[in-house]
Amino acid sequence: MKKRDFLKCLVTACAVGAISQRARADDFLTLDKAQSTLFPGEKLTAVPITLTADQQKQIQLLSGVRVRSETVNAWKSGNGGWLIVDNVIGKHEFIDFALALTPKGSVKGVEIMSYRETYGREVMNPKWRALFTGKTSGDPVQIDKDIKNISGATLSSVHITDGVRRLLRTWEVALRGK
Amino acid sequence: MPQGHIDLYQTTSLRSGKDEGSYSAWDFDTEVEYGITDLLQMSIEVKQHYFDIDGSSELNNDNFYSFGGVAMAAKYRFTSVFKDGYGFAFRPEIGYLTHDDVGGLDQHELFIAPGFIYQKNFLDDTLIFAANAAFELAWGKKPAEEYDHELSFEGGFGLSYRFAPNWFGGLETRFRSEYPDFDLGNHEHTVVFVGPALHYGGEKWWATFQYGYQIWGHGVDEGGSQTYAEETRNETRLKLGLNF
Repeated sequence: MKKRDFLKCLVTACAVGAISQRARADDFLTLDKAQSTLFPGEKLTAVPITLTADQQKQIQLLSGVRVRSETVNAWKSGNGGWLIVDNVIGKHEFIDFALALTPKGSVKGVEIMSYRETYGREVMNPKWRALFTGKTSGDPVQIDKDIKNISGATLSSVHITDGVRRLLRTWEVALRGK
Repeated sequence: MPQGHIDLYQTTSLRSGKDEGSYSAWDFDTEVEYGITDLLQMSIEVKQHYFDIDGSSELNNDNFYSFGGVAMAAKYRFTSVFKDGYGFAFRPEIGYLTHDDVGGLDQHELFIAPGFIYQKNFLDDTLIFAANAAFELAWGKKPAEEYDHELSFEGGFGLSYRFAPNWFGGLETRFRSEYPDFDLGNHEHTVVFVGPALHYGGEKWWATFQYGYQIWGHGVDEGGSQTYAEETRNETRLKLGLNF
């Protein structure tokens, strides 16, 4: 009887651990899809960019955001616009996103390419992402300033906003004029 | 946790090792938490124990199950660690315990425990410092204790680093100090545990494994630099969380 009670407890503990749910994949946006969404009908050319140590320091200084990689995954459109694919840190996973810039360096659009966090999917809302449209490296691009925080998705909205600000400064420091 | 969401936690702990005989106490704590708003969560918890005791001169030498009791808690977040620079939350808890967690003796304990949680993140939220502190007022400690009511302080702090996607590793410490009859001049015991922690988090579930070793303790009528009347040498804990 006593051993059985112990086993009951273990079964309860294991049952809780065993419940799992199928990972969602419906919000995944491929690179091709991101390109065709942000630059419909345009042909993009990959432009390999490797940031120098000085450029990384400058971007970090200007944006206030740490530069975690020296590689910039960038594509250039025929009229001088840019597509940058990057990621920011989520609570447990990376959040992949694509940023489209006009030839003058203002935001044309933001697309979330993958989101695997438990909460915070509200950042995929087109209305929230539209808040970035038209922003330039001269704008604050900060939560609670010119970008609205999403209650319940604070970590994701802060990190994506920081990521966009960092990439705007990346354009200013390393892509402009290329 | 955002409004309307539910989390389920299962914590399984093994407290083992005393200064005599063989002592193992398993704790099975099952908790359901609900987001009332984005800032306020409520939770209810069921506590169960299983004891395996042999060679003790003061405890019931047997192996047996005992229902521990139930507890309810609220958590209100004043600031967000991601937006405001630091996170700060108030977490009051109330509970009713039908058996004590040292020897499984029958009791009717009622406790209230207001607590606070602080968190500060660094390096893009990959390095996390967290601390918590609470005081607890408990009534109905007899016959497990010689007195009816008790004041205790409990808390801890830890530092963890995200060394790979999904994975955090760190070091945690926990302390607890008890004072019978709500009398700060009447110290019963104080204990400090320190040990590593490993955390994995996925989209729908997470798990945290912790080990704590009693690095220091002092109890009334106990010599040495460790205390075993109510504490153990080792605390090993696995907490599983499911997000809905």
